[in-house]
Amino acid sequence: MRETYEISDRFIEAGDANHLLYEPLSSGLTFRRTRRYELEFEGVRPPMEAFVRKTLFDEISQEFHEGEEPALKGFTFFLDYGMKPGALDLEKETILRYYSGIKDPGFTLKDLKIRQRIYLFGGKAEESGRFVRDICNAAIHQWTVTQANA
Amino acid sequence: MEERPCAVLLKFPGTNCDAETSRALEEVGFVTEVLPVSALKPEKLVGVSLVVLSGGFSYGDYVMSGRIASLVTEQKIGKTLGDFRDNGGYILGICNGFQILTQLDLLPSGSLVENASGRFQCQWVTLKNLAPKSPFLTHLPEEFEFPIAHAEGRLVTKEAAEAAGYISGGVAALTYRDDVNGSFERIAGLQDESGRVFGLMPHPERFLHRQDHYDPDWKGTGEDESRGSGYYFFRSLHESITKSN
Repeated sequence: MRETYEISDRFIEAGDANHLLYEPLSSGLTFRRTRRYELEFEGVRPPMEAFVRKTLFDEISQEFHEGEEPALKGFTFFLDYGMKPGALDLEKETILRYYSGIKDPGFTLKDLKIRQRIYLFGGKAEESGRFVRDICNAAIHQWTVTQANA
Repeated sequence: MEERPCAVLLKFPGTNCDAETSRALEEVGFVTEVLPVSALKPEKLVGVSLVVLSGGFSYGDYVMSGRIASLVTEQKIGKTLGDFRDNGGYILGICNGFQILTQLDLLPSGSLVENASGRFQCQWVTLKNLAPKSPFLTHLPEEFEFPIAHAEGRLVTKEAAEAAGYISGGVAALTYRDDVNGSFERIAGLQDESGRVFGLMPHPERFLHRQDHYDPDWKGTGEDESRGSGYYFFRSLHESITKSN
Protein backbone atom coordinates (compact mmCIF):
# COMPACT_ATOMS: atom_id res chain seq x y z
CA MET A 1 0.00 0.00 0.00
CA ARG A 2 1.07 3.55 -0.58
CA GLU A 3 0.16 6.73 1.29
CA THR A 4 1.22 10.31 0.64
CA TYR A 5 1.50 13.08 3.21
CA GLU A 6 2.42 16.71 2.84
CA ILE A 7 3.56 18.78 5.80
CA SER A 8 3.36 22.57 5.70
CA ASP A 9 4.45 25.20 8.20
CA ARG A 10 1.90 27.27 10.09
CA PHE A 11 4.15 30.16 10.99
CA ILE A 12 6.44 30.66 8.02
CA GLU A 13 5.20 33.33 5.65
CA ALA A 14 5.78 33.31 1.89
CA GLY A 15 9.30 34.60 1.18
CA ASP A 16 10.85 36.44 -1.74
CA ALA A 17 11.52 33.80 -4.41
CA ASN A 18 14.60 35.68 -5.58
CA HIS A 19 16.33 34.28 -2.49
CA LEU A 20 16.25 30.90 -4.23
CA LEU A 21 17.98 32.18 -7.38
CA TYR A 22 21.46 33.22 -8.33
CA GLU A 23 20.10 36.09 -10.44
CA PRO A 24 16.91 37.86 -9.39
CA LEU A 25 13.76 37.92 -11.49
CA SER A 26 11.79 41.10 -11.91
CA SER A 27 8.36 39.52 -11.63
CA GLY A 28 8.01 39.51 -7.82
CA LEU A 29 7.37 35.82 -7.17
CA THR A 30 7.06 34.56 -3.63
CA PHE A 31 7.53 31.01 -2.37
CA ARG A 32 6.64 28.61 0.39
CA ARG A 33 8.19 25.24 1.13
CA THR A 34 6.48 22.05 2.22
CA ARG A 35 7.70 18.47 2.58
CA ARG A 36 6.10 15.50 0.94
CA TYR A 37 6.48 11.93 2.14
CA GLU A 38 5.45 8.86 0.16
CA LEU A 39 5.37 5.69 2.20
CA GLU A 40 5.07 2.21 0.86
CA PHE A 41 4.07 -0.17 3.59
CA GLU A 42 2.47 -3.49 4.49
CA GLY A 43 0.08 -4.03 7.34
CA VAL A 44 -2.56 -1.83 8.87
CA ARG A 45 -2.82 1.89 8.37
CA PRO A 46 -3.32 3.34 11.93
CA PRO A 47 0.14 2.45 13.32
CA MET A 48 1.76 3.66 10.09
CA GLU A 49 -0.03 6.99 10.35
CA ALA A 50 0.85 7.23 14.06
CA PHE A 51 4.50 6.73 13.06
CA VAL A 52 4.26 9.49 10.47
CA ARG A 53 2.62 11.90 12.90
CA LYS A 54 5.14 11.18 15.63
CA THR A 55 8.25 11.17 13.47
CA LEU A 56 7.65 13.54 10.57
CA PHE A 57 5.13 16.05 11.86
CA ASP A 58 5.09 18.74 14.55
CA GLU A 59 1.59 19.49 15.74
CA ILE A 60 2.54 22.87 17.19
CA SER A 61 4.13 24.46 14.17
CA GLN A 62 2.90 22.44 11.20
CA GLU A 63 -0.19 21.32 9.31
CA PHE A 64 -0.76 17.78 8.20
CA HIS A 65 -2.23 16.96 4.78
CA GLU A 66 -3.09 13.51 3.46
CA GLY A 67 -3.28 12.48 -0.18
CA GLU A 68 -2.16 13.83 -3.52
CA GLU A 69 -4.02 17.15 -3.46
CA PRO A 70 -1.55 20.07 -3.09
CA ALA A 71 -1.56 21.42 0.44
CA LEU A 72 -1.43 25.06 -0.65
CA LYS A 73 -3.71 26.93 -3.04
CA GLY A 74 -3.24 29.89 -5.36
CA PHE A 75 0.18 28.93 -6.68
CA THR A 76 1.46 29.50 -10.20
CA PHE A 77 3.52 26.32 -10.17
CA PHE A 78 5.34 24.06 -7.76
CA LEU A 79 8.63 22.25 -7.94
CA ASP A 80 9.07 18.85 -6.30
CA TYR A 81 12.60 17.60 -5.90
CA GLY A 82 14.40 14.87 -4.00
CA MET A 83 17.23 12.41 -4.22
CA LYS A 84 17.51 10.09 -7.21
CA PRO A 85 17.10 6.39 -6.53
CA GLY A 86 20.57 5.10 -5.75
CA ALA A 87 21.84 8.48 -4.50
CA LEU A 88 22.52 8.49 -0.79
CA ASP A 89 19.60 10.13 0.98
CA LEU A 90 20.88 10.66 4.51
CA GLU A 91 17.57 11.97 5.79
CA LYS A 92 15.74 8.91 4.55
CA GLU A 93 18.41 6.62 6.00
CA THR A 94 18.13 8.37 9.39
CA ILE A 95 14.36 7.95 9.46
CA LEU A 96 14.59 4.30 8.38
CA ARG A 97 17.24 3.60 11.02
CA TYR A 98 14.95 5.06 13.67
CA TYR A 99 12.06 2.99 12.32
CA SER A 100 14.14 -0.19 12.43
CA GLY A 101 14.84 0.47 16.13
CA ILE A 102 11.15 0.48 17.03
CA LYS A 103 10.34 -2.79 18.78
CA ASP A 104 6.86 -3.38 17.45
CA PRO A 105 5.93 -0.75 14.87
CA GLY A 106 2.72 -2.58 13.87
CA PHE A 107 3.42 -2.23 10.15
CA THR A 108 6.26 -2.87 7.72
CA LEU A 109 7.76 0.15 6.04
CA LYS A 110 8.88 -0.97 2.58
CA ASP A 111 10.00 2.33 1.13
CA LEU A 112 10.04 6.04 1.88
CA LYS A 113 10.34 8.80 -0.66
CA ILE A 114 11.04 12.34 0.57
CA ARG A 115 10.37 15.34 -1.63
CA GLN A 116 10.89 19.02 -0.96
CA ARG A 117 8.07 20.99 -2.53
CA ILE A 118 8.42 24.66 -3.37
CA TYR A 119 5.26 26.54 -4.26
CA LEU A 120 5.73 29.68 -6.34
CA PHE A 121 3.11 32.41 -6.22
CA GLY A 122 2.71 35.21 -8.77
CA GLY A 123 4.81 35.59 -11.90
CA LYS A 124 4.60 33.25 -14.87
CA ALA A 125 4.76 29.50 -15.11
CA GLU A 126 7.46 29.81 -17.82
CA GLU A 127 9.86 31.05 -15.15
CA SER A 128 9.97 27.60 -13.57
CA GLY A 129 13.09 26.70 -15.61
CA ARG A 130 15.15 29.21 -13.68
CA PHE A 131 14.16 27.61 -10.39
CA VAL A 132 14.95 24.12 -11.63
CA ARG A 133 18.35 25.29 -12.85
CA ASP A 134 19.31 27.02 -9.60
CA ILE A 135 17.79 24.63 -7.04
CA CYS A 136 18.15 21.15 -8.51
CA ASN A 137 21.36 19.28 -9.12
CA ALA A 138 21.02 16.87 -12.03
CA ALA A 139 23.74 14.63 -10.59
CA ILE A 140 21.74 13.72 -7.50
CA HIS A 141 18.19 15.07 -7.82
CA GLN A 142 14.99 14.07 -9.52
CA TRP A 143 12.34 16.75 -9.98
CA THR A 144 8.99 17.57 -11.47
CA VAL A 145 7.31 20.91 -12.12
CA THR A 146 3.52 21.12 -11.87
CA GLN A 147 1.64 24.10 -13.27
CA ALA A 148 -1.49 25.36 -11.55
CA ASN A 149 -3.68 24.41 -14.50
CA ALA A 150 -2.16 20.92 -14.87
CA MET B 1 37.84 17.86 49.90
CA GLU B 2 34.56 18.98 48.34
CA GLU B 3 33.09 16.47 45.93
CA ARG B 4 32.58 17.86 42.44
CA PRO B 5 29.10 17.32 40.95
CA CYS B 6 29.01 15.17 37.84
CA ALA B 7 27.60 16.41 34.54
CA VAL B 8 26.89 14.13 31.59
CA LEU B 9 26.84 15.70 28.13
CA LEU B 10 24.84 13.65 25.65
CA LYS B 11 26.43 13.57 22.23
CA PHE B 12 24.35 12.80 19.15
CA PRO B 13 25.71 12.50 15.63
CA GLY B 14 26.02 16.18 14.67
CA THR B 15 26.38 17.60 18.19
CA ASN B 16 29.34 19.95 17.95
CA CYS B 17 29.42 22.15 21.07
CA ASP B 18 30.02 19.42 23.65
CA ALA B 19 33.77 20.07 24.05
CA GLU B 20 33.46 23.77 24.85
CA THR B 21 30.40 23.17 27.06
CA SER B 22 32.33 20.51 28.92
CA ARG B 23 35.24 22.96 29.38
CA ALA B 24 32.83 25.59 30.70
CA LEU B 25 31.35 23.16 33.21
CA GLU B 26 34.78 22.03 34.39
CA GLU B 27 35.89 25.61 34.80
CA VAL B 28 33.17 26.21 37.39
CA GLY B 29 33.78 22.94 39.23
CA PHE B 30 31.90 20.10 37.55
CA VAL B 31 33.42 16.80 36.59
CA THR B 32 32.11 15.95 33.12
CA GLU B 33 31.61 13.00 30.84
CA VAL B 34 30.69 13.25 27.16
CA LEU B 35 28.39 10.31 26.52
CA PRO B 36 27.63 9.18 22.95
CA VAL B 37 23.93 8.45 22.59
CA SER B 38 24.82 4.94 21.40
CA ALA B 39 26.09 4.23 24.95
CA LEU B 40 23.12 5.85 26.69
CA LYS B 41 21.38 3.64 29.25
CA PRO B 42 19.28 4.61 32.29
CA GLU B 43 22.01 3.43 34.65
CA LYS B 44 24.45 5.91 33.10
CA LEU B 45 22.59 8.67 34.95
CA VAL B 46 23.08 7.18 38.40
CA GLY B 47 25.15 9.57 40.53
CA VAL B 48 24.82 12.32 37.94
CA SER B 49 23.61 15.78 38.95
CA LEU B 50 23.28 17.42 35.56
CA VAL B 51 22.46 16.23 32.03
CA VAL B 52 23.44 18.62 29.26
CA LEU B 53 22.27 18.60 25.66
CA SER B 54 24.78 20.77 23.85
CA GLY B 55 24.48 22.76 20.66
CA GLY B 56 25.01 21.54 17.13
CA PHE B 57 22.98 19.90 14.40
CA SER B 58 21.96 16.53 15.79
CA TYR B 59 21.18 14.09 12.96
CA GLY B 60 21.72 16.90 10.48
CA ASP B 61 18.53 18.63 11.71
CA TYR B 62 16.67 16.13 9.52
CA VAL B 63 12.85 16.34 9.60
CA MET B 64 13.14 19.30 12.00
CA SER B 65 15.79 20.35 14.46
CA GLY B 66 15.92 18.11 17.52
CA ARG B 67 13.26 15.69 16.27
CA ILE B 68 15.35 12.59 15.58
CA ALA B 69 17.54 13.14 18.66
CA SER B 70 14.45 13.30 20.86
CA LEU B 71 13.00 10.15 19.30
CA VAL B 72 16.25 8.23 19.66
CA THR B 73 16.63 9.38 23.28
CA GLU B 74 13.10 8.23 24.05
CA GLN B 75 13.75 4.96 22.23
CA LYS B 76 16.87 4.29 24.30
CA ILE B 77 15.87 5.43 27.79
CA GLY B 78 12.12 6.05 27.67
CA LYS B 79 11.03 8.53 30.32
CA THR B 80 14.28 8.29 32.31
CA LEU B 81 15.08 11.99 31.88
CA GLY B 82 11.71 12.89 33.40
CA ASP B 83 12.40 10.60 36.34
CA PHE B 84 15.89 12.06 36.63
CA ARG B 85 14.36 15.53 36.94
CA ASP B 86 11.71 14.33 39.41
CA ASN B 87 14.48 12.89 41.58
CA GLY B 88 16.23 16.24 41.82
CA GLY B 89 18.41 16.14 38.71
CA TYR B 90 19.09 19.19 36.56
CA ILE B 91 18.80 19.26 32.76
CA LEU B 92 20.21 21.95 30.49
CA GLY B 93 19.66 22.30 26.74
CA ILE B 94 21.65 24.83 24.76
CA CYS B 95 20.57 25.75 21.22
CA ASN B 96 20.05 22.37 19.54
CA GLY B 97 19.76 20.95 23.06
CA PHE B 98 16.90 23.38 23.72
CA GLN B 99 15.23 22.19 20.52
CA ILE B 100 15.60 18.58 21.70
CA LEU B 101 14.20 19.36 25.17
CA THR B 102 11.08 20.96 23.67
CA GLN B 103 10.59 17.83 21.53
CA LEU B 104 10.99 15.63 24.61
CA ASP B 105 8.19 17.54 26.38
CA LEU B 106 10.52 18.38 29.25
CA LEU B 107 9.79 22.08 28.85
CA PRO B 108 6.54 24.01 28.41
CA SER B 109 4.96 23.25 25.05
CA GLY B 110 6.60 25.04 22.15
CA SER B 111 8.55 24.50 18.96
CA LEU B 112 11.63 26.19 17.59
CA VAL B 113 11.11 26.92 13.92
CA GLU B 114 12.92 28.80 11.17
CA ASN B 115 13.91 32.36 12.07
CA ALA B 116 11.53 35.01 10.74
CA SER B 117 14.44 36.25 8.59
CA GLY B 118 14.60 32.83 6.86
CA ARG B 119 18.35 32.90 7.48
CA PHE B 120 20.96 31.43 9.81
CA GLN B 121 21.74 34.19 12.33
CA CYS B 122 25.08 34.44 14.08
CA GLN B 123 25.28 37.54 16.27
CA TRP B 124 25.39 38.88 19.82
CA VAL B 125 22.10 39.57 21.55
CA THR B 126 21.05 41.32 24.73
CA LEU B 127 18.95 39.14 27.01
CA LYS B 128 16.57 40.05 29.81
CA ASN B 129 16.74 37.93 32.92
CA LEU B 130 13.12 37.36 33.91
CA ALA B 131 13.89 34.64 36.46
CA PRO B 132 16.70 35.92 38.69
CA LYS B 133 15.94 33.16 41.19
CA SER B 134 16.40 30.42 38.60
CA PRO B 135 19.26 28.07 39.55
CA PHE B 136 20.78 28.91 36.17
CA LEU B 137 20.58 32.70 36.45
CA THR B 138 21.24 33.75 40.05
CA HIS B 139 24.61 35.33 39.26
CA LEU B 140 23.43 37.18 36.17
CA PRO B 141 22.19 40.78 36.05
CA GLU B 142 18.86 42.02 34.71
CA GLU B 143 20.37 42.39 31.23
CA PHE B 144 23.42 40.73 29.73
CA GLU B 145 24.76 39.59 26.37
CA PHE B 146 25.27 36.14 24.89
CA PRO B 147 26.01 35.09 21.30
CA ILE B 148 23.46 33.23 19.20
CA ALA B 149 24.05 31.02 16.15
CA HIS B 150 20.94 29.35 14.78
CA ALA B 151 18.63 29.01 11.80
CA GLU B 152 15.71 27.56 13.78
CA GLY B 153 15.45 29.57 16.97
CA ARG B 154 12.05 31.16 16.68
CA LEU B 155 9.98 29.90 19.58
CA VAL B 156 6.32 29.42 18.64
CA THR B 157 3.38 28.01 20.55
CA LYS B 158 0.17 26.58 19.17
CA GLU B 159 -1.67 29.74 20.15
CA ALA B 160 0.10 33.06 20.74
CA ALA B 161 -1.66 33.43 24.09
CA GLU B 162 0.26 30.42 25.41
CA ALA B 163 3.57 32.26 24.99
CA ALA B 164 2.14 35.31 26.74
CA GLY B 165 1.18 32.98 29.58
CA TYR B 166 4.78 31.80 29.80
CA ILE B 167 5.86 35.36 30.55
CA SER B 168 3.20 35.94 33.20
CA GLY B 169 3.62 32.41 34.59
CA GLY B 170 7.37 32.75 35.06
CA VAL B 171 8.49 29.88 32.84
CA ALA B 172 9.94 32.24 30.23
CA ALA B 173 13.26 32.78 31.96
CA LEU B 174 15.04 34.73 29.23
CA THR B 175 13.77 37.07 26.55
CA TYR B 176 15.59 38.93 23.80
CA ARG B 177 15.64 42.68 24.38
CA ASP B 178 15.09 43.19 20.64
CA ASP B 179 13.07 41.16 18.16
CA VAL B 180 15.92 38.97 16.93
CA ASN B 181 14.27 36.02 15.23
CA GLY B 182 10.49 36.42 15.51
CA SER B 183 10.14 34.36 18.72
CA PHE B 184 6.74 34.76 20.33
CA GLU B 185 7.06 37.26 23.17
CA ARG B 186 10.78 37.41 22.23
CA ILE B 187 11.35 34.29 24.32
CA ALA B 188 14.97 33.09 24.27
CA GLY B 189 14.90 30.59 27.12
CA LEU B 190 12.38 28.50 29.02
CA GLN B 191 12.40 26.64 32.29
CA ASP B 192 9.98 24.02 33.56
CA GLU B 193 7.84 24.31 36.67
CA SER B 194 10.53 22.68 38.83
CA GLY B 195 13.13 25.20 37.64
CA ARG B 196 15.61 22.36 37.15
CA VAL B 197 15.06 21.96 33.41
CA PHE B 198 16.29 24.90 31.40
CA GLY B 199 16.65 25.48 27.66
CA LEU B 200 18.00 28.49 25.81
CA MET B 201 18.95 29.33 22.25
CA PRO B 202 21.98 31.53 23.04
CA HIS B 203 25.38 29.97 23.78
CA PRO B 204 26.69 30.75 27.30
CA GLU B 205 29.68 28.46 26.74
CA ARG B 206 30.98 30.87 24.11
CA PHE B 207 31.30 33.72 26.56
CA LEU B 208 33.36 32.51 29.49
CA HIS B 209 36.04 35.18 29.30
CA ARG B 210 36.05 38.91 28.77
CA GLN B 211 38.10 38.56 25.60
CA ASP B 212 35.32 36.43 24.03
CA HIS B 213 33.25 39.61 23.77
CA TYR B 214 33.23 41.48 20.46
CA ASP B 215 34.06 44.78 22.17
CA PRO B 216 37.67 44.83 23.40
CA ASP B 217 36.70 47.52 25.94
CA TRP B 218 33.84 45.48 27.40
CA LYS B 219 33.86 45.57 31.17
CA GLY B 220 32.66 42.50 33.02
CA THR B 221 29.35 42.67 34.84
CA GLY B 222 30.22 40.17 37.58
CA GLU B 223 32.61 40.37 40.52
CA ASP B 224 35.55 39.22 38.38
CA GLU B 225 35.99 41.49 35.37
CA SER B 226 38.01 38.91 33.50
CA ARG B 227 34.93 36.65 33.29
CA GLY B 228 32.18 36.75 30.71
CA SER B 229 28.47 36.35 31.44
CA GLY B 230 28.56 32.69 30.36
CA TYR B 231 30.87 31.91 33.25
CA TYR B 232 28.30 33.27 35.68
CA PHE B 233 25.57 31.20 34.03
CA PHE B 234 27.47 27.98 34.71
CA ARG B 235 28.63 29.19 38.12
CA SER B 236 25.01 29.84 39.15
CA LEU B 237 24.18 26.29 38.19
CA HIS B 238 27.16 24.80 40.01
CA GLU B 239 26.33 26.72 43.15
CA SER B 240 22.66 25.66 43.05
CA ILE B 241 23.58 22.01 42.59
CA THR B 242 26.23 21.95 45.32
CA LYS B 243 23.81 23.67 47.72
CA SER B 244 21.04 21.19 46.95
CA ASN B 245 23.28 18.10 47.28
